[in-house]
Amino acid sequence: MSDDHTTSGAPNELAGEYALGVLTGGDLERARELAKSDPQFRVEVARWSGCLAPLLDSVPPADPPAAAWDRIERRLGGQANGNNVIQLRRRVYQWRGIAAAMSGLAACLALVLVADIRPPAPVPAQIEQSPAQPLVAMLGDQQTKVKVVASWDPAARQLVLAVPGEMPSDAQHSHELWVIPAGGKPRSLGTMSAGKQMHMRLADALAQLLRQGATIAVSVEPRGGSPTGAPTGPVVASGVLSQA
Amino acid sequence: MTHRMDRMTGMTGAEDARAELIELLRRVAGQDRSALRSLYERTSAKLYGICLRALANESDAQDVLQEVYMTVWTKASRFDATKASAITWLSVLARNKAIDRLRASRAPANDLNAASDVQDDSPSAFEILEQAQDSTRLDHCIEELEERAKLMIRAAFLEGASYPELAKREGVPLGTMKSLIRRGLQRLRRCLER
Repeated sequence: MSDDHTTSGAPNELAGEYALGVLTGGDLERARELAKSDPQFRVEVARWSGCLAPLLDSVPPADPPAAAWDRIERRLGGQANGNNVIQLRRRVYQWRGIAAAMSGLAACLALVLVADIRPPAPVPAQIEQSPAQPLVAMLGDQQTKVKVVASWDPAARQLVLAVPGEMPSDAQHSHELWVIPAGGKPRSLGTMSAGKQMHMRLADALAQLLRQGATIAVSVEPRGGSPTGAPTGPVVASGVLSQA
Repeated sequence: MTHRMDRMTGMTGAEDARAELIELLRRVAGQDRSALRSLYERTSAKLYGICLRALANESDAQDVLQEVYMTVWTKASRFDATKASAITWLSVLARNKAIDRLRASRAPANDLNAASDVQDDSPSAFEILEQAQDSTRLDHCIEELEERAKLMIRAAFLEGASYPELAKREGVPLGTMKSLIRRGLQRLRRCLER
């Protein structure tokens, strides 16, 4: 035991230093041994991690490059459950994403393809009941200049955004995408990455809101997205979802 | 269904996002790839920011980001929503991975002790207990720290600086640095448990 700890009687002190990551040498060894052998010490470390975690909130978010996800997906592809059916399904999904952006007809064709391959999906009943037609919204500004085309494929819960024009942005701000159900409050779909096309797969709770008549809007928010969960900046484009 | 919709729209945005992340992690634990993708879309900017801050190198940060989501893919079942929020769990996981990478890259190739830092399966990497307090309280307790202690604790946790590194950086004896940080930690803890 190091002399450095003889002055402190607090049993959780070493755990705090371990969670903070300042220990070196013998003290670090001792903390590691305790983390392996002493459940109470682990609880202390966990508690300290919880105390220190708010420090992470101050770190500004940064969009990783698009290729970062591709690398993860490639690694998933090599995993144990990456069998042929799943590989095929994945390719169909990818193709379907492109198709949905191009035309409703192509998207429908892809739906037929996928319907045969997809195993019975454990989706909530309400998803199955929702209309399965692809929807499209043309998002424009006051001058009705189209800025973003949003295509929604309910079966795949995939939203494809195409940005034909310019979406001026700067390092301090992000474009955040919202769905506003008819008569409801705006719900965030996340921030938009830079680039001409973006694919988003939505969770069930959000997917349910993308129905005919719902509004899709883009607002300018602080980098990383609205801090409040509601739009705080100007809406630069919006449009209503209708059948493709 | 109407009931569920009402409940969802009645929630505040923050609660809603919280519930959604928990649900996504549950689905990821069941090996749902689309859920991992959704989770990535919602959380990668925050986690990448944490990796960048620790590593100060985009290529390393991208490597670690990938490691983080691969770990989430295999270990999502270890997340316990009763102990921490999903975003806290993910953030601390990203922080721990990034710091591990930092240590490994600094260690001499033959230093086995330092290399063993990269044991990403150490139980503590997944165990986080958050105080049942709102985040403004936590922020308040951090803000209440003495300015220098706050800076040092921040540098240690976010950038992986050790006691000897902090002492060198500040030009103070090692013992002084240890006292400063220990006092800061105790004060933080007392404030949080008040």
